[in-house]
Amino acid sequence: MSNFIMAWRNLWRNRRRTFITSASVLFAVFFALFFRSLQLGSYDHMFKNAIESYTGYIQVQQKDYWDEKIVDNTFTYDSDLDQQLLADNNVEATIPRFESFALASNGPQTKGVLVMGVDPEKEQHLSKITDKMVKYRLTEESINRIKQDADVPQKVKELALLFKDNAYTNSSRLQLDLGISDKDAPLVMPAIETYSRFENGSINLREPGVLVGNKLAEYLKLGIGDTIVLIGQGYHASTAAGKYEIKGIVKIPLPDIDNKIVYLPLDICQELYNAPGNLTSLALAVHDNSDKAIEATINRIENVVSGEQRIIGWREMNEVMVSQMDADNKSGMIMIGILYLVIAFGVFGTVLMLTAERKREFGVLVAIGMQKKKLATIMTSEMLLIGLLGMLAGSLVATIVILYGVDHPIIFKGSMAKMFEDYGMEPKMVFMGINTYFLWQMFIVALMVLLSISYPVRKIFGMKVVNALRA
Amino acid sequence: MIWKTAWKNIWRNKIRSLVVIISITIGIFGGVFAVAVMNGAIDQRVDAALNEEISHIHMNDPAFRDNYDIRLTLDNPDRLLDTIEATPGVVAVTFRTIITGMANTATKSTGVQIVGIDPEKEKSVFTLYKTTIPGTGSFFEEESRYNQAYIGEDLAKELNIIRYIVDDAVLDTLAAKGVPQSVTDKLKAFIDYHFRSEKSFKQEIKNVLNANEQREYGSMILDAAWSFRERSRMTLTFLDKNQVQTGAVFRIAGIFDVRNSMYEMSQVLVKNSDLVPLTGLTPDQFHQVIIKVDDMQSAPAIKAALAKKFPGLEILDWKEIQPDLAMMTDMIEQFYAIFMIIILAALAFGIVNTMLMVVLERTKELGMLTAIGMNKKKVFSMIMLESIFLSLVGGVVGMGISQAIIGLTARNGINFSNYQEGLEALGYTSHIYPVISPSFFILVTILIIITGVLSSIYPALKALKLDPAEALRTE
Repeated sequence: MSNFIMAWRNLWRNRRRTFITSASVLFAVFFALFFRSLQLGSYDHMFKNAIESYTGYIQVQQKDYWDEKIVDNTFTYDSDLDQQLLADNNVEATIPRFESFALASNGPQTKGVLVMGVDPEKEQHLSKITDKMVKYRLTEESINRIKQDADVPQKVKELALLFKDNAYTNSSRLQLDLGISDKDAPLVMPAIETYSRFENGSINLREPGVLVGNKLAEYLKLGIGDTIVLIGQGYHASTAAGKYEIKGIVKIPLPDIDNKIVYLPLDICQELYNAPGNLTSLALAVHDNSDKAIEATINRIENVVSGEQRIIGWREMNEVMVSQMDADNKSGMIMIGILYLVIAFGVFGTVLMLTAERKREFGVLVAIGMQKKKLATIMTSEMLLIGLLGMLAGSLVATIVILYGVDHPIIFKGSMAKMFEDYGMEPKMVFMGINTYFLWQMFIVALMVLLSISYPVRKIFGMKVVNALRA
Repeated sequence: MIWKTAWKNIWRNKIRSLVVIISITIGIFGGVFAVAVMNGAIDQRVDAALNEEISHIHMNDPAFRDNYDIRLTLDNPDRLLDTIEATPGVVAVTFRTIITGMANTATKSTGVQIVGIDPEKEKSVFTLYKTTIPGTGSFFEEESRYNQAYIGEDLAKELNIIRYIVDDAVLDTLAAKGVPQSVTDKLKAFIDYHFRSEKSFKQEIKNVLNANEQREYGSMILDAAWSFRERSRMTLTFLDKNQVQTGAVFRIAGIFDVRNSMYEMSQVLVKNSDLVPLTGLTPDQFHQVIIKVDDMQSAPAIKAALAKKFPGLEILDWKEIQPDLAMMTDMIEQFYAIFMIIILAALAFGIVNTMLMVVLERTKELGMLTAIGMNKKKVFSMIMLESIFLSLVGGVVGMGISQAIIGLTARNGINFSNYQEGLEALGYTSHIYPVISPSFFILVTILIIITGVLSSIYPALKALKLDPAEALRTE
């Protein structure tokens, strides 16, 4: 205890130096935590988007389907399998799907598309298609009506023009893009919502009809009530061709999917591909989506599926994205590493000065009988305290910022949002809450301090008292 | 005089100064090298995009890019060609027919863009022909009585045109490369089995080899077993000018590898002479003019000049064709600067601490100097100069080391093969040649000097506040 008090008092002998050294640690810890939080948060958000609007966390597939996505590699959907999967504690719902590729055309416009046969009700457990239906659209006509409305501020009218033809699934994004503050919203939004309302329909099992992605609809110049022609390769190399009415338009938050997705009712889709009763995949909605729970669930249900089927997790299904995030994550870690290296040298510099300055003092202390071990302990505690001080302060500041950020993600408005959307990204930056990455910073700071302390400790043990006293 | 004093002062306490200098060296080296790697990756991306994928300027019907309608053609190329070639800055011109369609093999099908080209003209604009994978053929070099198509490696994999086969020849090649008998024996289990996907082959290798062997020989085995079925064919189908479904069988002329999955997956190049008869178009109709200019930066100006001559057409420069590329090249320098500023800010703490120490340690000396008539301005500038020298020495050494390491690594590049799949999906190669422009070193030098100045202000002010009489009395 007395060691600690001595160390604490020593710290305040040169206040300025203690502050500056701690501040340098604070600086590094704050930046590291802030950037990690943004980086990890955005990965998490991107994965959630990809998983929850498309693949799901776990899928059951025919064993060769993933390597070769053809209609022949499908399996028969039977209720036994369904019951057994649903019996698992973590499985919330099973979502049958039939996915394939087709050439879609509307008159002269043609494009390769992803055809997905779904059960709209069951999709509510996972991809929530209904939430992704386009509700508002800034068409030329709606912009004209906005322009003529005297109550709408000039700035909003200009922004409306910038976002011409943009589609929205909810009014809050529309409000943000148009730069309308929450205060003005009750005044202006009802009118704007009326002007830009988009009449959308839905699909149901047993009723021919499709939903198409917003970008795809734009490309093929499709509107509600139009007809789309799908041509593809069916079961056992048969030709799959069909004509369907567009019932609705959806906006999927993944641009790569949005520009090629066509949703068909499951049974209609199976009919199109001449594979009634077959599925390409059975996606599972889960209660607990943590890595651990997913892995445990996969292990449990391995026994349920037959040898003809396999279980596939989200990591394997989003392999490319995992690899991208991994590369990005490593580069982020290298940058933080450089920052910490620089700060470590700063801490070492302080240690060096402390030692040089107090050489004589050390000599006196040892001469009057202080054990070298005790002296070294005090010295070490001093530096650890400096590190701890900086780390606690840095974590505190970062925690406040991050906790605020978790509830208030950075959402870009107006023209800035437009730039993000052009780039194919959601105009939103998400923070990750307090997590294990906090522990890593502590570990690094402790390591940094312990490494730099090894110098004075060696000095103390190798000290010749007579020489030190003369210093 | 004051410069010399400041310089000598730094070396009075060598260890202390060296610690600061080394920390600056490491910080600057880390920062500059990281920037060089990023910059290299981006440079290579831009380079590949401009030389292999899009070139500099596109001209087409104003509505063509909305949905690639086959009927929106440009007619009479010779008339256009003369005017375009007469425009200063234009280096080469090529015409393309572009049709959306589907590529099918017996088992697989996928949506593609069928691009009809004139191989000779194409070679004057794009260097794509140089990326042909050896052994897969060529860029329409060989005459054939069949229709020919030139496709990307990823599409070839998708369509099962590339497979993985282990045969005796493969085992011999591996043995010649120094793969031990124990490993090749294990591979004998797969002899003559045709793996249709890279993934399933990798999976099987994983099952028989241990982790060590996989790491050591995995990519070697993959390379050796990579097999291209000669005279492979695929069917291209699309809707012709009159909305009638049409198509034909094409033989693979060659396979290219541009390390950009999206491009490799979507583009099928065929000869115009093969394509046009299927489309219902006439030989003098095409969809897009692609223009290569002498300097990528002058593209917008040349585009403006062309726009005056062809008011009825949509003319775009590369920045408009790929806005993400333009945004990146325009904004990335600011990002580099911010990155360096954060590192320098971290370094500043160390410098402030050291300079403060310098001032407090020399209280008596500074008092003496003031007492014998050195004015405050000189004391202030002496401290500031010491700080600047300290930072600059570290900075220059750091930049020197960076330059040396960049030079060394730029020769063979750095291979981030672990992240290949992810990087190539974004259009980046995983084999990066770090590169940095000399102007970046100037920027960094300026930033270092600013850091030196800023971090000396507080210690120098401390020195000014010293009362000479008081200072002289301290021990």
